[in-house]
Amino acid sequence: MLAIRDLSKTYANGVHALDHVTLDIPRGMFGLLGPNGAGKSSLMRTLATLQEADSGTATLDNGSGGSIDVLRDKDAVRRQLGYLPQDFGVYPKVSALDLLEHFAVLKGLTDRKQRREVVDGLLQQVNLWDVRKRKLGGFSGGMRQRFGIAQALLGNPRLVIVDEPTAGLDPEERNRFLNLLAEIGENVAVILSTHIVEDVTDLCPTMAIMNKGKVLLTGRPMDAISALESQVWRKQVQKVDLKRYEQTFTLLSTRLVAGNPVIHVFSAERPEEGFEQVAPDLEDVYFQRLRQHAKAA
Amino acid sequence: MFEFLRFELRQQLRSPLLWLMGALFAALAFGAASTDVIILGGSVGNVYRNAPMIVAQFMALFTLLGMLFIAMSINGALLRDFEQGTAELIFASPIKRRDYVAGRIIAAMIGCLLIYALIALGIFIAQFMPWLDAKRLGPVSLYPYVWTFAVIVLPNLLFTAALLSLLAIVTRSILWVYIGVLGFFVLYGVSAVLLRDLDNVWIATLAEPLGLRAFSRTIRYWAAEQRNTELPAITGYLLANRALWTGIALALFAACFALFKTERSGTARGWRRKNILATSAETVAAPASAARQLPKVSPSFGPSTGVAQFLRQLRFDTLGVLRGVPFIVMLLFAIANFIPSAIFAQTQYDTAIHPVTSQMLQALQGAYSFVLIIIVLFYAGELVAKERGVKIHEVTDAMPVPNWVPLTAKFCALIAVIVCFQLLGSIVAILIQLGKGHAQLELAVYAKTLAVNSLIFVLMGGLALCFQVFTNNKYIGYALLILVLIGQIVLGTLDFTHNLYNYASAPNAPYSDMNGYGHFLKGQLWFQAYWGLFLLVLLLLSAALWVRGVGGSMRERLRLARQRLSGPLGVATALSALAFVAAGGYLFWNTNIRNEYLSPDETLDLQAKYEREYKQYKNLQQPKILATQVEIDLRPETQTMRASGTYRVRNPYAKPITELHVGMADDKSLVSIDMGGASLIKHDKALGYRIYRLKEPLLPGAERNIVFKVEISPKGITNGTAQSQIVDNGTFFNNTSFPTFGYNDSAEIQDRNERRKRKLGEPRRMPKLEDQVARANTYLTDDADWIDFKTTICTAPDQIALSPGYLQKEFMRDGRRCFSYAMDRPMHNFYSYLSARWQVKKGKYKGIPIEIYYDAKHAYNVDRMIEAVQKSLAYYEANFTPYQHRQVRIIEFPGYASFAQSFANTIPYSESVGFIADLRDKDAIDYVFYITAHEIAHQWWAHQVIGANVQGATVLSESLSQYSALMVMEKEYGRSKMRQFLKYELDSYLSGRGGEIVEELPLYRVENQPYVHYRKASLVFYRLRDEIGEDVLNRALKTFLQDKGYQQPPYTTSAELLDYIRAEAGPDHSALIADLFKKISFYDNRVEAATAKKRADGKYEIVLDLHAAKLYADGKGKEAPGKLDDWIEVGVFARGPSGEEADEKVLYLKRHRITNGQPKLTVVVDTEPYEAGFDPYNKLIDRVSLDNRKRVSLQ
Repeated sequence: MLAIRDLSKTYANGVHALDHVTLDIPRGMFGLLGPNGAGKSSLMRTLATLQEADSGTATLDNGSGGSIDVLRDKDAVRRQLGYLPQDFGVYPKVSALDLLEHFAVLKGLTDRKQRREVVDGLLQQVNLWDVRKRKLGGFSGGMRQRFGIAQALLGNPRLVIVDEPTAGLDPEERNRFLNLLAEIGENVAVILSTHIVEDVTDLCPTMAIMNKGKVLLTGRPMDAISALESQVWRKQVQKVDLKRYEQTFTLLSTRLVAGNPVIHVFSAERPEEGFEQVAPDLEDVYFQRLRQHAKAA
Repeated sequence: MFEFLRFELRQQLRSPLLWLMGALFAALAFGAASTDVIILGGSVGNVYRNAPMIVAQFMALFTLLGMLFIAMSINGALLRDFEQGTAELIFASPIKRRDYVAGRIIAAMIGCLLIYALIALGIFIAQFMPWLDAKRLGPVSLYPYVWTFAVIVLPNLLFTAALLSLLAIVTRSILWVYIGVLGFFVLYGVSAVLLRDLDNVWIATLAEPLGLRAFSRTIRYWAAEQRNTELPAITGYLLANRALWTGIALALFAACFALFKTERSGTARGWRRKNILATSAETVAAPASAARQLPKVSPSFGPSTGVAQFLRQLRFDTLGVLRGVPFIVMLLFAIANFIPSAIFAQTQYDTAIHPVTSQMLQALQGAYSFVLIIIVLFYAGELVAKERGVKIHEVTDAMPVPNWVPLTAKFCALIAVIVCFQLLGSIVAILIQLGKGHAQLELAVYAKTLAVNSLIFVLMGGLALCFQVFTNNKYIGYALLILVLIGQIVLGTLDFTHNLYNYASAPNAPYSDMNGYGHFLKGQLWFQAYWGLFLLVLLLLSAALWVRGVGGSMRERLRLARQRLSGPLGVATALSALAFVAAGGYLFWNTNIRNEYLSPDETLDLQAKYEREYKQYKNLQQPKILATQVEIDLRPETQTMRASGTYRVRNPYAKPITELHVGMADDKSLVSIDMGGASLIKHDKALGYRIYRLKEPLLPGAERNIVFKVEISPKGITNGTAQSQIVDNGTFFNNTSFPTFGYNDSAEIQDRNERRKRKLGEPRRMPKLEDQVARANTYLTDDADWIDFKTTICTAPDQIALSPGYLQKEFMRDGRRCFSYAMDRPMHNFYSYLSARWQVKKGKYKGIPIEIYYDAKHAYNVDRMIEAVQKSLAYYEANFTPYQHRQVRIIEFPGYASFAQSFANTIPYSESVGFIADLRDKDAIDYVFYITAHEIAHQWWAHQVIGANVQGATVLSESLSQYSALMVMEKEYGRSKMRQFLKYELDSYLSGRGGEIVEELPLYRVENQPYVHYRKASLVFYRLRDEIGEDVLNRALKTFLQDKGYQQPPYTTSAELLDYIRAEAGPDHSALIADLFKKISFYDNRVEAATAKKRADGKYEIVLDLHAAKLYADGKGKEAPGKLDDWIEVGVFARGPSGEEADEKVLYLKRHRITNGQPKLTVVVDTEPYEAGFDPYNKLIDRVSLDNRKRVSLQ
């Protein structure tokens, strides 16, 4: 669906935001995992035609056998695109309905009757129908994100890009939001960037992990998890010892359980006495890749 | 509290903006005090540059301008913590609110005081600058600074700081504080409108919080000497004003303390909290959505999609502006500013005018539309940063919208906002018209004028928009724009005035009811189109530089721009740039090659050159014109005039004339001149001065014909406003377009400073009254004495053409309508031509036809004018000499000038002075009647008797016309109306003398000073009439007319007039006549106390304690006491039904001879007295007229 090849971008301050990124993004949900500053947003902005790349290509199927050069033919991309940026605002004094209508026209829905149907449908779908006449300034974070997804879905996009949509949402809102995404993901390509591993585990058949502008891993989450099978070990340790473990082993994660650190360690065999083997999850994969990358660097 | 103060003061003093403002204002003050380039609140005039009142005036003005930095300081002090989010940190600590507020405000005020100290320093050091003329400096003194800080600066700072603090505290919005400043400026303007009505002085001076008006009102009648040395005592208007506003300031501060809240904004008000609660409730209630099938509608993308998107964005942005608080606030301000100036519109003597459309549009432009400049500049920034401002730009920029849509939509939104604003203004204007019962609505004129007036705002708004895009930073964008605005002013002061490089400037097209925009619009629109093309180039470049998505570095933007410009956008940019250059070339060809462009300084330099080179010929003997015959082919349609004329000239001197010096206002317009054989030995084209050597000298007493051809035709567009004499409907030009002889000293520069710069010495003054040589000529011209006059003028077939003389025949020639006029007796070499499509109304006075030629829209006062002519002729014929002509014509001309002027039997009268006066209010002064009577009187005073070219000449024309008109008015309206009229005359005289820049002269030596020969003369002659009697005075005037009418040189003088008056009045009045005419005298009369006792016989005995003083002033206003020996009226009045002065009953009114300063009088009256007065009708020139009357206290 979307093929990214060797995409690079260096900012004026010398930061390599994208470092030869190569990805294949199929139809369905695609999770993009990475810590802050990994280059996720840069990648998404580039795909959303908001930012120029220095080199590389990105090609999008146009749905009828041809393809679109994402970096050059921006207008064509925009016609296929739904984009929900990471940190977006709204006009506080405009109602949800009015702004969505406005966006609908900008999205090319110029026929008044059709537009009305689409807008009404979307407002219902994102469950903002009852508050459609309320000023956006009074919306909560979750309502605002739902409004954001509604605008991203205007005009049947074939590529939907959502950047960290669940940050700051309470669990219930987050669930509702992810459900919405999952519904859409059935037909189109949805790129979901997040640093919350579970979002990806729960939703995405394919994923990539990025750090410092590089793609560390790409594939299906299950494959990545099974690759770590029987190599992840857990132990509850004392705080004072933490430093030693860090130096000795590939420490994947540390979590406090009842005040004492429980650590996950990556190792082909039992690292030492007291470690028990655990079934790996995507978080382990994520951290293992980050550690590996850190070591290589 | 001290800690807050210290901390805040440190912050304030560290703020570079504050210092920048301080430096800027100090430089401005220095410039204004040391040069004439910068003018603050009127020029310095002939007062010392460092006079105390100048210091006070400058500083006072800066307290108004200073609101800008006070707003900045207050915003910083009170809102910084909320803006930067440190408020919660501070208020969570155990501090006292009061300490916080007081500390912060005091610190801000100290910061502002420092700036004022800088400004004062700027003014102070200005007086030591070497380029200043020592003659224009008084002694160095610090006292004025102390006075000003105590009386003006500190109270004003207290008030403005309190007001803005309260605004900051209540709204917690920087914007609102600035809007408060703006509102304040408007309030200031409104009180100016109120002040125009003299009776409202107290209200207007009190209503103005900064005391500027109270100050200027107090020194209003001060003469130069007083202005040079004194500062007002703190009493009266000034004291009341200062006390009132300091009190209000304290109350505002109290409110600040009471209303200051430390809570986060938004949590303090009930309704907002409710809103938030509702929101969270909704979140919980909503269940996870069930999958719902969305209708599959695919967007369509065709050429029309972009248009639809554009229209939608335009609507969205326009509504966004129109619904915004700043727009609404500014709109309301503009309307509030407009309404008073439209409702109280008047031209003279506080008499209203009919709200004709042209006047409403003028008021709209002057008092309303200017707010648009703030709106477009502000919203240019807001619109460009709109998406970015709320962080929604990543959403919208990723939408499938063509690149041209956002910028175009925003530019058009600005235009739409301008249109809406203008529409609302015209609705208000139309409502006012309807409210005043004016039903001639000219909607098309509204549409046209508002459209034309809006162009400048479109250009400025567009430029602001482009700057915003280029800089991609709201504040740098604004700063650039301010730089451009300042640059334009600087260019102007540096004598760079060509429209080709002053952005958006164009020759202004004046509008007149008679002539519409006429031919003026072409030049304005061409220049605006030129700048429009420039703007188009900038807009296209903006499109190339438009940031879509995440703005990269400037280099990246430029790279992208180059990419975008390689397509059709580049072609369009190149084409527009080409069109701009082509239009510029065309305009340059028009303004500088077909026409001549002269900057103001170049014009003055030429004048200086004229004086230097040709003044030597000032007394050169030149022939006098005996008769003039002119044929004129006028083409109003093309603003062209061709004249061929013949002067019959004579050498009246004892020596032969060998050289003829011919002057032309515009040298190119003289096509040919033939004086019976002459060689051109000098031709100064730039100055229009030619010297011909006559083949045969003109011998003494010999006569000869001089034949000339003149052609005036427009040659395309000029840089300045096109000529306004020959126009489509309403041509009015006079004989100054034709050749004149010799040096013309009225072309000399009059301004002292401009003369000094060009080393020209003192300005020309009129010859002394005693100068016998100068009596050889009238003050009008030295080219002729009295001439015979004949003319034929052909004009457009649908127009009437007029000139002095009687119509001999009217005929058609080559499709042109022609009129031949001839004057049947000698007249001045002073004649005009008029042509327009008029209505004609006829009247009669004893067989003398009266004709009013007026525009169809202006029929209001035509009958009144006829009546005024009839009554004037009746009075003048009865009291003076017979009217010399057999006809009177009053002719309306377009309002490009606003005067009426009397030519022989012909009186051109501007549409803007009497034709639209609204005389329906019977209490208002009928100045139509007055002006008409005055102009008719000129047929005697100027056209029968004319003064020699010496001091006092205008007494014989203007002052006597003024007296004559007063008499006709008094017969018509009665004495009490005269008092109302004379109050204005007194006010104009007293304030006029304060603005005198040379020296005030006594009436009989007046040198063409209007405030003396009109205003003071009214008072002088009215009093003279009162004292010597109307019959006596008129007899003197009649004899004077009989003796001096139509005289040959030497011409008569004001001194001779006084001889006639003295001869009739008798020796008793010679002291009075000297006081009135030969001196500048003032009285200070007042009633100190008036107590009444009821006597046993039912009568009342009133004891009056009076104060009397007479002062003589010299030309600079220096006063010396005079000896009292005057007859002054004393009056006692009974209360009328309304309690108003107008219907008080006179119980006693008698002139008393006053010889000492504290006269005590006892008066007995029959009924209960109410008021007593000493010179109760203000017939004497007294600077404080109100204290001449006092309520009688009954014992």
